[in-house]
Amino acid sequence: MNTLGDLERAVLEHLWAVGGPVTATQLRDSFADRGLALTTVHTVLSRLEQKGFVDHDEARPRQFRARGSREEHVAELMHEVLGQAGDRQAALARFVGSVGADEVRMLRELLAGAGEHPTR
Amino acid sequence: MLPATALALGLLAALLAWPVPAALSRARWPRRDPLAALVCWQAIGLAGGLSIIGALLTHGLAPWGHSLPEAWWHWVTRQSAEEPVRGDHWVAQTLAAVLALELLGVLVLSLVRTARTRRRHRALLELVVEPAAAGEDTRLLDHPAPVAFCIPGARPLLVLSSGMVAELDGAQVDAVVAHERAHLTEHHHLLLLPFVAWRAALPVLPAADRAHDAVRDLVEMRADDVALGSLTGPDRRRTLAAAIVAVAAGAGGQLPDGALAVTGGAVAVRVRRLLAPAAPLPVAARAAALACALALLLVPTVLLVLPALT
Repeated sequence: MNTLGDLERAVLEHLWAVGGPVTATQLRDSFADRGLALTTVHTVLSRLEQKGFVDHDEARPRQFRARGSREEHVAELMHEVLGQAGDRQAALARFVGSVGADEVRMLRELLAGAGEHPTR
Repeated sequence: MLPATALALGLLAALLAWPVPAALSRARWPRRDPLAALVCWQAIGLAGGLSIIGALLTHGLAPWGHSLPEAWWHWVTRQSAEEPVRGDHWVAQTLAAVLALELLGVLVLSLVRTARTRRRHRALLELVVEPAAAGEDTRLLDHPAPVAFCIPGARPLLVLSSGMVAELDGAQVDAVVAHERAHLTEHHHLLLLPFVAWRAALPVLPAADRAHDAVRDLVEMRADDVALGSLTGPDRRRTLAAAIVAVAAGAGGQLPDGALAVTGGAVAVRVRRLLAPAAPLPVAARAAALACALALLLVPTVLLVLPALT
């Protein structure tokens, strides 16, 4: 499938794998099996750039590279998810919010005690 | 007629700004029927805004007519006032306009802001993570902490971490997914949104804080209840409770102490009501709660419109 989302993922994976800067022509050749037009490669690259995953230098021809590794992006997302900022809480619904060590201990006791006698 | 209306609306606004939210957030029945309590909170928020703005408008426009619709029409069509206009009338008008604009403006602003954050998160997840086997809208994020969350919206995403799948057994993961799906299908983010916005708009009002926290916790309890309904295991209450404790313990270990403890025991309340469920609210009590919510909305509306009909 050659939907934009799939192409974006494939191009980003490729940039991560290569590690260094790549020109749009080289990218098109790397994806020869998909039969991409150069304009399509540019569209995908500019979309990735808009989303902040790719940037380019001012050399001619332009060379593109990934901004940050996959791990860095995941770590950044998790930092926001685990953080307590108010607008983050509004943006996504987390299964269980952060709790302190004391509360964890108390929760474990609740769970362990529930077998024998019901707690209030 | 008008001064009495303004006074009644002001009194209602004062009740809704302090004693009513305080009583509801202290009450114990909401955890037996989170859905009815959520309806009550929405009514309190809406009626509170309506009555304070209505009170200011009714007073501010009093010189222009004997009822708000009539006075409003005279004011809009620039007819001269029937009674002398004093300074406090102008102050009340201005306050009403400022308050209405602030409440609506902050609501729109936080709608836009959360939509932008969600879009960013979704873009990142769709790029960085392959769709999981469980479904097109599910993503498995490679991270050791047991975390699950959903990103609501037109194209919702449900995200589980690899740590969650590793630490929890199959039935527990099903319970977590059912809980997050309940948030999505019942659009809980929309119930919470006005309270997030108004807490930001009215930082001086303790009730705004209290209402936000209560709604946030009730939404979680409601999602637990809905999840239980869709689970089949022999001891599904215990399964869900164990999942909550396991996730709380795992995520808690990831974070430095002290920065946490913001939930104020809400997780413990969830676990307790799963392990030792109280009897559901009697039908009559639930009907009474819903009737109160309806009355809260009707009273300011009637006060604002009725004088025009008599």
